[in-house]
Amino acid sequence: MFSFAVRSFFQKLITLFFISVISFLVVYLAPGEPSQIDPMNPKFTVEDLERFRQEFNLDKPLHMQYYLYYKNLFTGQLKSWKDNQPVLGKIVERFINSLWLFIVGTVITWCLSFPVGIQAAINRGSVFDRSTTFFAYVLISIPSFFFAYMLIIFVVKNFNVPVIGMQTFGMSGAGAFSQVMDRMWHLVLPSVLGALGGIALLSRYVRAQMLEVIHQDYIRTAKAKGLSSDKVYYKHAFRNALLPFVTMFGLILPGLIGGSVIIESIFAWPGMGRMGYEAILARDYPIILTINFIAAVLVLAGTFISDVLYMVVDPRIRL
Amino acid sequence: MSVKDRDIKELSEGLAGEVSRFSEAWGIFSKNKLALSGLAIFIAFFMIAVSGFFLTAGEEPLLDPAKVRLSEKLLRPFTSFDVEMVRPEDRPVFGIYLFGTDDLGRDIFARMMQGAWVSLTVGFVAVGISIAIGIIMGGIAGYYGMYRMKFMHLLCMFIFLASGIMYASAENGGAFIMFMAGTVCLLLSVGYYFFYTRRGADIPVFRFMFFETITADSFIMRFVDIMLCFPTFFLILTVIALLPANIYNIMIVIGLTSWMGTTRFIRAEFLSLREQDFVAAARVMGISDFSIIFRHMIPNAIAPVLVSATIGIAGAILTEAGLSFLGFGVPPPHATWGNVLSDGKRFIFDAPWLTFIPGISILVVVLSFNLFGEGLREALNPKLRKR
Repeated sequence: MFSFAVRSFFQKLITLFFISVISFLVVYLAPGEPSQIDPMNPKFTVEDLERFRQEFNLDKPLHMQYYLYYKNLFTGQLKSWKDNQPVLGKIVERFINSLWLFIVGTVITWCLSFPVGIQAAINRGSVFDRSTTFFAYVLISIPSFFFAYMLIIFVVKNFNVPVIGMQTFGMSGAGAFSQVMDRMWHLVLPSVLGALGGIALLSRYVRAQMLEVIHQDYIRTAKAKGLSSDKVYYKHAFRNALLPFVTMFGLILPGLIGGSVIIESIFAWPGMGRMGYEAILARDYPIILTINFIAAVLVLAGTFISDVLYMVVDPRIRL
Repeated sequence: MSVKDRDIKELSEGLAGEVSRFSEAWGIFSKNKLALSGLAIFIAFFMIAVSGFFLTAGEEPLLDPAKVRLSEKLLRPFTSFDVEMVRPEDRPVFGIYLFGTDDLGRDIFARMMQGAWVSLTVGFVAVGISIAIGIIMGGIAGYYGMYRMKFMHLLCMFIFLASGIMYASAENGGAFIMFMAGTVCLLLSVGYYFFYTRRGADIPVFRFMFFETITADSFIMRFVDIMLCFPTFFLILTVIALLPANIYNIMIVIGLTSWMGTTRFIRAEFLSLREQDFVAAARVMGISDFSIIFRHMIPNAIAPVLVSATIGIAGAILTEAGLSFLGFGVPPPHATWGNVLSDGKRFIFDAPWLTFIPGISILVVVLSFNLFGEGLREALNPKLRKR
């Protein structure tokens, strides 16, 4: 176990190094330079350009830029090119905002997909099974931005509550209760939208896993013993079907960043995805690279956690 | 009837008739109503997209997606045009605007027809690229996986890569030097290899070139692991935003970031196929590796690839729509479903058809691809049949 952890840690470190190189090259080798973002601006003289390039190490050779970038990142001195704020501080602030969406979305996903998937598996071929299957495909196929607008129209027309942003403008003086309620309303739509794809995929996966288990011999034995069907399905079958999902706790970590760009842009939610989008528009390389780096770290940490969890829950597995 | 034929007939009397793989798969597939309707929509979409290309292309298209009629702003679907305000040559083809008009008075029907072709090509070309890379990488990893890469392979690869990077960062001198160094290195190792195998001459100085490093399999699969760590949509967005905007870049970038799944499928299939008797027989017969891989192994490994390709097309269409929605897609005069929706979102309360028509079209097409792909998976996978 310990040797596995150490080995895997070093493997992931090497992977991370290559990721850092590739993402650096992708961003820095793209045509055009951030100093030319606004070439028509008359206030931008040649001397300014030179100063800009010097300030951000753009005049140095590529490997020096790489070294300086990651040195600054790890010593916490990395500054955004757009507003000269420390990158880490900006990201932490946005990260917490995204975390809200992520937690609510994950809770919705896991609470909904298990009952749906289990029921679909138990009543295989029923109307419920077929309609949830169809809706799962609809949810996977629907463009999130289109669905977002349908939901916004629906909520705004029927409930008369604002849903854009993190809180209603001018609410800061209101009482604690109305502030919390306001925040809840703003939180619901983006997190539901973020959760939809996950619900569809996870419920299909739960269904497949349950189907696998309920054809096993020990389930037939349990039924033959005369146990109630609830006990058979939820005590005997479900526990064994649960195994792969324990490991999925690790794999949901990367969801913190991926896929939130569109939703956060529509709802003007000041999270990581939207920050990334704005950074791309402004060619703010340090922020783009740092978000990429954090995403990669999350993926690697997620796979590591899921490996370890797998060993913990299934003693047959020795890595 | 010859003796042999009669024998066969007698022998096979009690057995089930021979069924080809295709008709067996079709038998399962056609029972699946959702998958069948997916296939029907897929074919319809294909024809609409191709006719959309011919109707909207050229100098004087029948349906002009870029024709601006400022007097005809934001008309509802099925409204007819204003005879007084619209010049005869600007009139819509059917006398009415089938899907209405947008804020510049452009015919949404024409724009949707043009966008259908864009969606179709983006989906097919992007997935074609990713399948091609996936088959090559997965094939190498699966078939030549045991081969240990020599030090010189890695060295040459590294030097050529460095030269490419220097060229891209406009250091042409350094790039040239690196390129020459890589060529010299390559020639040296090839020359030494021939001397060594033909003449048996051994030059100890060059022996380090043949140090065995990692296997080809782990080299490729580690690269797959690295690629899987990138946040895909964010990476695509970054690259598209930094590159000049055109439709080919989108196809290539989506293709280059989505080949990892195919590689894994192909590798897994190849690992099991490699050990099977028909491959061993082919090798004994002296058939070249190339035709073993492409004539004998790939047809047997293609089923999961076909499924993931179908679902991949759905994903590529969604990604393109998402990019267009964020404003990085195909540049403006060209219409795609994503940018019709994105342009229309400002008028969502006044002109909801600008949002709903492209949105529902994307939904229906992507859904049909997904259903078709899942039906295909069920029909081609013998393990799922019994369930």
